[in-house]
Amino acid sequence: MARLHAVGKLMQVAVAPKERSSQSQDPARAPVVPDETTVRSALERHLRRELGSEVEIDGFERKSSGFSWITYSFVAKTTAGASRKLILRVGPPNGLFAPYSVLPQVRALQSLSGTHVPVPGLVSFDQEGAELGCPFFVCEHVEGDVPVPWAGSKLSEEHRRDIAGQFIAILGELHRLDWRGTQLASLQGGSEERDEVRAIAGWCASLERPTARYYPLLDWGGRWLLENCPLPPRRTIVHGDYRIGNFLEREKRITAILDWELVHLGDPHEDLAWALMPTFNGRSKKLYGVLERDEVVDRYQRASGVQISAKSLSYYEAFALYQAAAIQMRAVRAFEVDEFNDMRMAVMASQMASIVRAFDRALEAAV
Amino acid sequence: MSTSFDRLIDGMIEALQSHVLPRSGDEFVRGQIFSTIFALNGLKLTADWKAAPLLEQVRVQDAALSEVGRLAVRMKHPPIPALPRTEGIAADPVVVEALRDDGDRILGELLFWASSEDARGADPSAAREIELLLRRSICEQLKVELAMTPKSMLHQIATGEEGG
Repeated sequence: MARLHAVGKLMQVAVAPKERSSQSQDPARAPVVPDETTVRSALERHLRRELGSEVEIDGFERKSSGFSWITYSFVAKTTAGASRKLILRVGPPNGLFAPYSVLPQVRALQSLSGTHVPVPGLVSFDQEGAELGCPFFVCEHVEGDVPVPWAGSKLSEEHRRDIAGQFIAILGELHRLDWRGTQLASLQGGSEERDEVRAIAGWCASLERPTARYYPLLDWGGRWLLENCPLPPRRTIVHGDYRIGNFLEREKRITAILDWELVHLGDPHEDLAWALMPTFNGRSKKLYGVLERDEVVDRYQRASGVQISAKSLSYYEAFALYQAAAIQMRAVRAFEVDEFNDMRMAVMASQMASIVRAFDRALEAAV
Repeated sequence: MSTSFDRLIDGMIEALQSHVLPRSGDEFVRGQIFSTIFALNGLKLTADWKAAPLLEQVRVQDAALSEVGRLAVRMKHPPIPALPRTEGIAADPVVVEALRDDGDRILGELLFWASSEDARGADPSAAREIELLLRRSICEQLKVELAMTPKSMLHQIATGEEGG
């Protein structure tokens, strides 16, 4: 055991099989998913209080069976006869990134309303989740479809070029915004640690949670990332999950950028590197399968006014893979340690070998 | 190979019982689900991970450990176990998996050491060579796992749609 303590933190907490079974029998760890009737009545009570009138909910429907936030769509009708199509997003206690906070998303939607970054309008939120037992927020429904990032798109090349161009232009707008004086300024850390380093440290901490398998390259590479984080050209709002699949598009226009749960302040290279990951581009190195990397960088620089550093981009490409590995490990842990019987989590474990190998290659390129 | 065999089978059975069965009203479909649960329970009693790929991973680790021992002969380094570690052990997958996992921890410890100021101060060129050797070896070991990984079905799993 003494030998283990000399090495990285992830190693120290790799769980032995015996410990694994004793932890997993803790009933407090059992997954809890609010049923739809409970969610719906909690929502009615919440909206009645927020809107100050009786509210009837129609067409209540779960929109996704995602790994993290649960999304529902519905129509809220007031006694005055007004009717609004809305979206409810709930952070379930057993979700992949639990425990959840609605505050980053709420602050992003508040701060970006009325800017050139299209976002759904925020209606209300409840961080304490008094009615539901977990945090949630309500926002306007925005018309559009979500493109699927995992497979090659059936849309025409011209269509995808249009969308990819807007996608980069919006990212440039996001990174141009002065966050000081907005709600997002509260994301700034008060400590001496740089914001971008704090974001990386968060993922390192996530990997320190107990899992069945220890990956030496992740442990070692995580420390390298922490020790070699470049200075940002400008500290900007970073979406944190800016990729194909996290926006709505309608009639060749991006109508809303979604999923702001990982928003933070940091280095703009982070969003660009994440968006370029082949996983989110139908396994292509081109953005949305159509825009070459150089063209992406060129368009982005013009849109944002940020000068891209090849070295920083390489660093954040390595970090993107590290983050992807940390997300997969969360899923592995949910299945293996918490005994969350969602087979999608178990399948994610099988991707670890390819991600860790790609991470090593990316690290070599970033050095 | 990072999920234990029994846990995987238990998870499959539980997923069928809690997510699939309650949404299946058709008698024939329910019969198929119960038959699959029965077959999975049978697999749990009769099957296990293949030992050969695990042994191959341990062999790759041992080769790296031996090479590190040679390169670091004049340096003060973390302990390297007697090699080969598989000598005299039963080809029980559980035992070999534990050996592989222990090997990963030893490789991790050596990797941290090779990139430390201590190792670089003692012999920078050997330290760098050891670091690269360990990283190559870990990747080679992961290649054994990749050879046993089925083609990705991420699209189908994430969207519930066929194709992709």
